[in-house]
Amino acid sequence: MLMKKFKLVCLILLIISILAACSAESSNNEKTGDSANNENEIVYASAKDINDMNPHLYSGSMPAQGMVYESLVENTEDGIKPLLAESWEVSEDGKIYTFFLRQDVKFHDGVLFNAEAVKKNIEAVQNNAEKHAWIKLSTKIESVNVVDEFTVELALSETYYPTLAELSMTRPYVFISPKDFKNGETKDGVSGYNGTGPYMLTEHKIDEFATFEANEDYWNGTPEIKKITSKVLPAGETTLLALQKGEVNFVFTDDRGADSLAIEPMNQLVDSGEYQLIRSEPMNTKMIVANSSKQDNPISEIAVREAIWYSIDRETISKDIFNGTESVANTLFSPNVNYANVDLKERGYDVEKAKDILEKDGWKLENGDEVRTKEGKKLVMKLYYDSNSSSQKTQAEFIQASLEEIGLHLEIIGEESTSIANRRSTGDYDLLFNQTWGLAYDPQSTISAFTSEASYLHTTKGIEHADELYKKIEQIMVSTNEETRKSLYADILTIVHEEAVFIPISNGSVTVVAPQNLKGISFKQTQFELPFELMNFK
Amino acid sequence: MRILRNLSRDRLATISLLIIAVTIIAGIFAPLFAPFDPNEINMSLRYASPSWEHLLGNDHLGRCILSRIIYGIRPSVLWVLVVLFISVLAGAILGFLAGYFRGKIDAIIMRICDTMLSFPGYVMALAVIGILGVGLENILIAFALIKWAWFARVIRTSVMQYAELDYVKFSKATGISDFKIIFKHIVPVTFSDIAVISSGSIGSMILQISGFSFLGLGIQAPNPEWGMMLNEAREVMFTRPELMLAPGLAIVIVVSAFNFLSDSLQVALDPKLVISKNKYKENSPYSAVKVREKEVAN
Repeated sequence: MLMKKFKLVCLILLIISILAACSAESSNNEKTGDSANNENEIVYASAKDINDMNPHLYSGSMPAQGMVYESLVENTEDGIKPLLAESWEVSEDGKIYTFFLRQDVKFHDGVLFNAEAVKKNIEAVQNNAEKHAWIKLSTKIESVNVVDEFTVELALSETYYPTLAELSMTRPYVFISPKDFKNGETKDGVSGYNGTGPYMLTEHKIDEFATFEANEDYWNGTPEIKKITSKVLPAGETTLLALQKGEVNFVFTDDRGADSLAIEPMNQLVDSGEYQLIRSEPMNTKMIVANSSKQDNPISEIAVREAIWYSIDRETISKDIFNGTESVANTLFSPNVNYANVDLKERGYDVEKAKDILEKDGWKLENGDEVRTKEGKKLVMKLYYDSNSSSQKTQAEFIQASLEEIGLHLEIIGEESTSIANRRSTGDYDLLFNQTWGLAYDPQSTISAFTSEASYLHTTKGIEHADELYKKIEQIMVSTNEETRKSLYADILTIVHEEAVFIPISNGSVTVVAPQNLKGISFKQTQFELPFELMNFK
Repeated sequence: MRILRNLSRDRLATISLLIIAVTIIAGIFAPLFAPFDPNEINMSLRYASPSWEHLLGNDHLGRCILSRIIYGIRPSVLWVLVVLFISVLAGAILGFLAGYFRGKIDAIIMRICDTMLSFPGYVMALAVIGILGVGLENILIAFALIKWAWFARVIRTSVMQYAELDYVKFSKATGISDFKIIFKHIVPVTFSDIAVISSGSIGSMILQISGFSFLGLGIQAPNPEWGMMLNEAREVMFTRPELMLAPGLAIVIVVSAFNFLSDSLQVALDPKLVISKNKYKENSPYSAVKVREKEVAN
């Protein structure tokens, strides 16, 4: 009797679950249709919250800030182009930049964008100088002067050739409505997030979602996509399911270079016919950064870093882990980056050579041991990877196995990207995964970041010719002669290459998975932003 | 031996015991059983399907899954057994002290137990990991620190039942030392209780440790562990669901085996059953052996 009842209950449950599964399917299909066509909305999945949108600080999500705020000029494939400034003049000595602003631009709160707003914003950035040390322009600006309502003058202490490039960056030289300032400053937070960009932030629930709506009065025409939502979802299968269900319909490589989907699931989505996969040109170099200033760790020795460089099989990483989507990188900057076409010694995959180098440096493998030792110190170090990036973990494990072969024990530790960024700035790491900053920033900003505590100071501080390196970086930024600049860049790149502090792996690009009918997907010169305003559903 | 014989009449218990024995032996002698080095990476075999050489296929780094499952027995099962033994031992000692001597000792030990038990196990484990850092050993330490309280509480109750019995009182009256009484008269009778509760909690401990490893708090890469293998397979859950099967089934089978065994143990150790079976044994001394042979043949 009991058995019978039990079977009956099971049967009913089974039928209910089948029904539930079916009905869920049909409602999902409708939903996909809605969000893709009727609502004209992009919902993108992000592993992290958009965080503090204050454009003069660094914790916010850059793609989101890129939608809301704009800079004076824009860095494009064909060089610097006008954005909020219609045109500009540079004085003969290169110290005075005069910008003629657009006259039809308003902040989202209706305040007119004018010379006064520019002055206030730039001064707010300057008042928090130490935060912006990585961007050398912040140390060169002497004053910002309002010439008339729509003309503003930037006076530098000395000539600085990447001025326009640095003004074009996603942050910090972008503009927020002066009404949002707190006590005339932005460094202690702002009271609103009104920029001039094509989208405005309308709703934000921390760690859930943020909604951006099209700015109807955008000076460059109302964007066609009316609503963009950034939804916080754990990377990996949650995001994949959400894409399949239609809960989100867009994913892209985030500002820390982590793809929330592995390559296979992306291909699966494309095969389903509902999504398209678009990959930008190679934008940056994915690499492992070595902490040369950590004196008590073997990583501070050049021989160890070189051995690591030699024992990474980049071909296999590119072919098997990235399914051929990312090419092998042998230098910090790929040769197509400005000034980076320098003849450097190629260090290919050569385990024997790696062993040789360690042997010569005194790292001996005692009989029966698996780890090399030198003067009682073991060849052990830690590698940190972004736990939201599935490819980084696989690479880490792969490299760990390769290094085991040469007698180097690598501990691999997965952490949140914010915590990794924090390690990078405090120097609390041996090795970590990182990437160069993309075409708009390479090489000048990435190189000037060698001297910035928040970026790569700990990476470069411990090398033999550190002082010389820093001096050359200082020189390069003020040089006006193209030839000297070239030779200085060559010297700098040679020094860091010789010292093997940046161990390149592959050339990364920005990947977008979007609905099949989304058109107009393009890329900027920076990996940190996407031009959503150019997209539209067909 | 008697218990074994009782168990052998229960087909499920025999199978469970067999599975557990095979698992433990395979785990201890992993290098002999595993066809490959579990950490050997071979990218050309990335996600290869099962073949004669690699019976369960290869994972995302081309490592042999079968070998990893076999090596994974060590942290997933063997170390759990060690921790269980330690916490049962600690729990038993304190439980005996509390249950037998009562009074102040009992009050103190039980209040400590109360404190330990008032925190959810997972929270305590996470706190210990937070202090000591991630890693299998720290999780094991955390488990040993948490679990003893529960064992102490249960064993104390069991001891109290017997400590009040007349023969114990007589032993006390005749002046036999307390420790002798405990060892001679109480340990043997409470042993069955201890065996049942500890075997019952193995299953949940294996699951919890795998759970922590799944979250990345347990054993660190590249060492194999079932929970971690599940986590690795999770990343390709929708493209290669078959990768979840091997570690998933391994956990399910071993945990079920331990649970079935513990159920059967409970039956086998039940005094009433023991008496009836003893009579049975006297009548036909060879029957038990015969039954067992039959089971094996099945």
